[in-house]
Amino acid sequence: MDDTTKRLLHRLIRRTSTEMLKTTLGKWGRLTMAQRQSLDFTQSKSALTEELLTLCEKNGWTVKNVAELEMIHVIDNPNQGMWHAYRLMDPEDDACSVELTQFKERFKTHLSEVVRHVSVKTKKHTDEAVWIRIAWGDTFSRPNHLKPTYVVYHLQTPYVFVTSLTSKQKPLLSQALILSTRYQGFKDANLSGRKLTAIRDLLMKQYPLVFPTNFSSPVAEKDQTMSNPCIIKEQDGLEAKRLQMARGAFGDGVLPQLESAVYKLETKFKDQTNRIMTEREEPFRCVVKFTSTNLLESFRQCAASGIVSPPITPLFSSIPLKGKNYFALKDKTLGSSP
Amino acid sequence: MSLLKSFNNFPALNTANILLVENEEQFQQSLANALVEAADAIVNVRLAKSLPVPTKNEESRPRIDLVVFIINLTSELSFESTEASLKYLDCGYFLGKVCFMLTNARNASIPPERLDAVRKLASLLHCPLLFAEDQTPDGVTNAAERLLTILKVAAGHVPMTTALYMSILTQCTVLPDIDQPSFD
Repeated sequence: MDDTTKRLLHRLIRRTSTEMLKTTLGKWGRLTMAQRQSLDFTQSKSALTEELLTLCEKNGWTVKNVAELEMIHVIDNPNQGMWHAYRLMDPEDDACSVELTQFKERFKTHLSEVVRHVSVKTKKHTDEAVWIRIAWGDTFSRPNHLKPTYVVYHLQTPYVFVTSLTSKQKPLLSQALILSTRYQGFKDANLSGRKLTAIRDLLMKQYPLVFPTNFSSPVAEKDQTMSNPCIIKEQDGLEAKRLQMARGAFGDGVLPQLESAVYKLETKFKDQTNRIMTEREEPFRCVVKFTSTNLLESFRQCAASGIVSPPITPLFSSIPLKGKNYFALKDKTLGSSP
Repeated sequence: MSLLKSFNNFPALNTANILLVENEEQFQQSLANALVEAADAIVNVRLAKSLPVPTKNEESRPRIDLVVFIINLTSELSFESTEASLKYLDCGYFLGKVCFMLTNARNASIPPERLDAVRKLASLLHCPLLFAEDQTPDGVTNAAERLLTILKVAAGHVPMTTALYMSILTQCTVLPDIDQPSFD
């Protein structure tokens, strides 16, 4: 057993909670029944680690076995790390008929053609998703199992979710994916977040959707519960209008938990009082970032409670509409004076 | 859109009317409930997001005895909206029938200039400036009680005193060194 295996196992145990570890080891199925029962999960983490390392030595587990354990753990806890969404473009005619074994085989061969040392492991999850773990190496080094890239691909859809991918590895992965899925292009979908399920739901529209219309929905029955005769609202109807507006933009169901939205501005500075900035030739560059534990929910609350003034800017409502949380804004007519 | 006038209606017996103006419409709701509960006279509360108030309520609107502007210090918009609303108020109100109520003043992230700006505004208009805690129920009842004290005087329920007289004692004053750079 080499050093990498030990370190990989060590790191995995450190990151996992004890109950989680118990179920993960059970799913892994490389411990015999007697070994699993002899493990005492009530003892401290360090003692447990020691015990597992000796077991590892005894059973002769390789890096690949431990990598499989890590993969099971990641599949069960997908909400760790930063996930980026990519979109495959221009399907060929037989793109929709690619099935699992074919895809696996093709992906492995195409990837090992471009990178000499690479270790690929695929696993099909229950919800039609193919999980791929790639440990990258290069011409002179063995695959690095401590920094794996995880790829989640839903068969017959153009969406791919990737975590911890460096810019050097991106072209390699994109080529292998394009060739094995029978598509022709690979593009950043400008959506990222810590929760894989949330960005998947947002992109595949698997949450209670609302369809934009110009007609007001049938008036909901007014609740008369509040009516204290001494309290009267001067501007009634405003609240109902706001609620309807918030519902129109974000729906009224549970929204995917998105953490951030980034707007990169490259527009002309417009302010009549500040002439120096307004008359500058080059665009004004800045980045505006909104963060929250549940960004879409906060936007909806802001609109519904009247903290932001109506109407909701299309920049906010297009996050769920377009499935993006990174926007680059540019002036439509660059160069012309305002 | 109608201009609020301080003497355009007759007062009703044992009744006080208060108008709460808040851009965010969060705190005013709980404050209104607390006001109605805590009062021993009949208190009518009117809620508005901003002034001017719509004309269609003109007939039903009683004489407003006290106008309270609630400003959330964490939001610039709240302050700007208040400044805009002040223009639609009859000048008779500024003789002791307007007060400002600040929320979130303990928040460390607010710029100190904003508090100074509100202070200056209040002292310019000779209005009292109250601070309230809007997150806890205790803070809300406390704020309601303080408002009721002012409201009683403004509505003429307290003999021998008037709103104008009280405002001399309660109005906000700006310390002369507010424009000086501080040394901390």
